[in-house]
Amino acid sequence: MAAAAGSGTPREEEGPSGEAAAPQPQAPTSAPGARLSRLPLARVKALVKADPDVTLAGQEAIFILARAAELFVETIAKDAYCCAQQGKRKTLQRRDLDNAIEAVDEFAFLEGTLD
Amino acid sequence: MAERPEDLNLPNAVITRIIKEALPDGVNISKEARSAISRAASVFVLYATSCANNFAMKGKRKTLNASDVLSAMEEMEFQRFVTPLKEALEAYRREQKGKKEASEQKKKDKDKKTDAEEQDKGRDDDNDEDEERLEEEEQNEEEEVDN
Repeated sequence: MAAAAGSGTPREEEGPSGEAAAPQPQAPTSAPGARLSRLPLARVKALVKADPDVTLAGQEAIFILARAAELFVETIAKDAYCCAQQGKRKTLQRRDLDNAIEAVDEFAFLEGTLD
Repeated sequence: MAERPEDLNLPNAVITRIIKEALPDGVNISKEARSAISRAASVFVLYATSCANNFAMKGKRKTLNASDVLSAMEEMEFQRFVTPLKEALEAYRREQKGKKEASEQKKKDKDKKTDAEEQDKGRDDDNDEDEERLEEEEQNEEEEVDN
């Protein structure tokens, strides 16, 4: 009797938020052209303006920063996952992230900033 | 509400979606890890902004532009981002151009429409009759198909 338990549906930390419970509107996922930027430019702009040395930032600069932040999230998530894989876990934990930050030179700027 | 730059977070739902799409199916992420990544993304933007600003100042400009940000990526040792960012920039520029042309076209059409509407006022009743006739024809066609 093959039970479905082996399919591994860990619900440890996710809770009920599994799939489309987020209040955000569903963005079109299939058209690549529609995914120019998922992060809201207004929030990125707010971060940029928080820098006292910055006078003005052009729209293109804000857009590229948003896109770069997305690439960064993908990159760090993948690097952190490598650590989780070594632990044979299927859930990314905070410590995986810390390990990735320590191991990868490019993430050195994050040290001490996430606490 | 946001008192420090580090408190300006990017929307959790979007961050979560980006993470999930970057990872293989079936992999989950803990709340703590997700919020740490979100925070890291904010720090990344702040750091990139600061680097980009240095380039702008070197160029004696007060406005950050796209090439300042690209230079910042290289400075931060994220050269691998440069090519995809350049492609995204091209697409963004095309989209902006398209939007601009579309809104200019809309404006032209609107001007044309207001002129035409004044002429068309007398023709509205006739159009309604035409639509009713079309509907009847469609119903007839359906009946024939059933037979």
